[in-house]
Amino acid sequence: MTGLDVSGFDVTGLEAARLRIRAGAKLIIDGVDCTVPVGSLTALVGPNGAGKSTLLRALAAVLKPESGAVSFESTELFGMPRRERARTVAFVEQDAATTTAMTVTEVVRLGRLPYESAWGDGSADSERVVVDALATVEMTEFAERDFDTLSGGERQRVLLARALAQQPRLLLLDEPTNHLDIGAQLAVLGLLRRLAAGGMAVLAALHDLPLAASYSDHVVVVSGGRVVAAGPTAQTLTPALIRTVYAVEATVLSNPATKKSVIVLSELG
Amino acid sequence: MAPNRRAVALWASGLSVALVASVIAAVTIGPADIRADEVLASISARLGVGESPLSLLRDGIVWELRLPRVLTAAAVGAGLAIAGTVMQAITRNPLADPYLLGLSSGASLGAVSVLLLGAAIVLPLAAFFGAMLALGLTLLLASSLGAITPTRTVLAGLAVSSLASAITSLVIFWTVTGDSYRQILGWLLGSLAGARWPAVAIAVAGILIAGIPILLRSRVLDAFAFGDVTAASLGVNVSATRWGLLAASALLTGAMVSVSGAIGFVGLILPHAVRLIVGSAHRVLLPMVAIVGAIFLIWADTAARTLFDPRELPVGIVTAIIGAPIFAALLARRRSLT
Repeated sequence: MTGLDVSGFDVTGLEAARLRIRAGAKLIIDGVDCTVPVGSLTALVGPNGAGKSTLLRALAAVLKPESGAVSFESTELFGMPRRERARTVAFVEQDAATTTAMTVTEVVRLGRLPYESAWGDGSADSERVVVDALATVEMTEFAERDFDTLSGGERQRVLLARALAQQPRLLLLDEPTNHLDIGAQLAVLGLLRRLAAGGMAVLAALHDLPLAASYSDHVVVVSGGRVVAAGPTAQTLTPALIRTVYAVEATVLSNPATKKSVIVLSELG
Repeated sequence: MAPNRRAVALWASGLSVALVASVIAAVTIGPADIRADEVLASISARLGVGESPLSLLRDGIVWELRLPRVLTAAAVGAGLAIAGTVMQAITRNPLADPYLLGLSSGASLGAVSVLLLGAAIVLPLAAFFGAMLALGLTLLLASSLGAITPTRTVLAGLAVSSLASAITSLVIFWTVTGDSYRQILGWLLGSLAGARWPAVAIAVAGILIAGIPILLRSRVLDAFAFGDVTAASLGVNVSATRWGLLAASALLTGAMVSVSGAIGFVGLILPHAVRLIVGSAHRVLLPMVAIVGAIFLIWADTAARTLFDPRELPVGIVTAIIGAPIFAALLARRRSLT
């Protein structure tokens, strides 16, 4: 494991230390340290089976690790009361689906749960947050539609709005661009970048390396349950690292307009 | 198809009126002709207002036979419908129902076992433990078949239910003489023929003790729509909530079964029907499903006791005739969930 490059991180956000997670007898996450700074979009990348989903669940504090610590802005997440934690951290699962017939607004309103009393809270403020969240993801005109009539990209944006209705400071997403058309993928990633720029800490697991390179500010690379590299995207995703982790040839260019990396992949020659 | 607040309020008040009307109308129906105004006068006389216009015998029919039976039907219908709604939400299984998952048969077995030991006072409690045991067995069996899917759970419930029903029949058959077939049918298929005021008390107590805590968790039930991980990320203590609510469903089922035997399909079909009208937010859905369940079972039981007068059907046959085709339709529509 290479050392963490934290020199560019001036604001602490999410910090995980020495995480170990076991599924049955198998060690899925083997001593992971990672950081997600506030104000940046961090991509969690790595080959299939590297442990990205498991790691994300632990970072979202919905899966208790065997050992290790997860904190956000120096507060231990597993030590927080559940509802308070849900007001700090929001998590969008991969391919989240429901068999319950719900409207878009009902789905987004679930995000208000950590703020409600047992009888719910139909307060105007709460409804305003729901409306704003839908506006942020540009789904306002879908408010009364049934969730299960939406396209994949529309659903993803509604689930993102649900997470935003939690008014979190840390947003974790597992493969938010999965199964989406390229246009919808870019729309979601663009949105995530704007949210990060607005002061949130955003961590998204992404399997598409070129997409991760062109949108993320920081990157955490996992392989075999360990972090093999982490830091600012341009410095971290090097051809050598990509060859080691993914067993493919990579050429890394710099987009003169955005200063972001452009990665061109090919088979090992 | 988002039902707005006004539409929901209209449905709620309309159905509440329909419930009261159903109670009074059902009491008027039967071999002895008693008019609705006579029923009202008889009830208000008992409550200390005016005098009953009915003869002692006919007043007895209203107050000692029909009214407690109709009220028991209402309470049992409400209780089973709430239990079914909760189980469907918490297991994310559109086929979940206290009858199909074996809870009702387990409760019957528990109830019959203590009944024959002569401990009628603990009947609802024994039914509760029977329901919990059956639920545990069903989930254990379903998980041993692999991932817990709706269809596997129903199959496991079928196995548990068959076993519990067989033991119930055996216990009654061995220990009771005379009219034991009728008793067996009553516990296996459900019957409200013996419902008097103690039955009303037990069923209503079950709804108050288990139903109110469930109502207070209605927003949490909503959170289960996208599964455990999403519920946990919304701040829900998933395992404590799941087991607490399943235990409350078992308690509700136990209380209902101890007065009525195992009545099927009420908990399965009514939540689906009511969701079509008021949507799936549990804060609205749960009270509405309780009212509709009450109305449904009042009329199912009225049909059961009058259709083939003077012979009486177990009410479970009526609910099965209505419910089984709907179950088949749900099964066909949810093929993807196998």
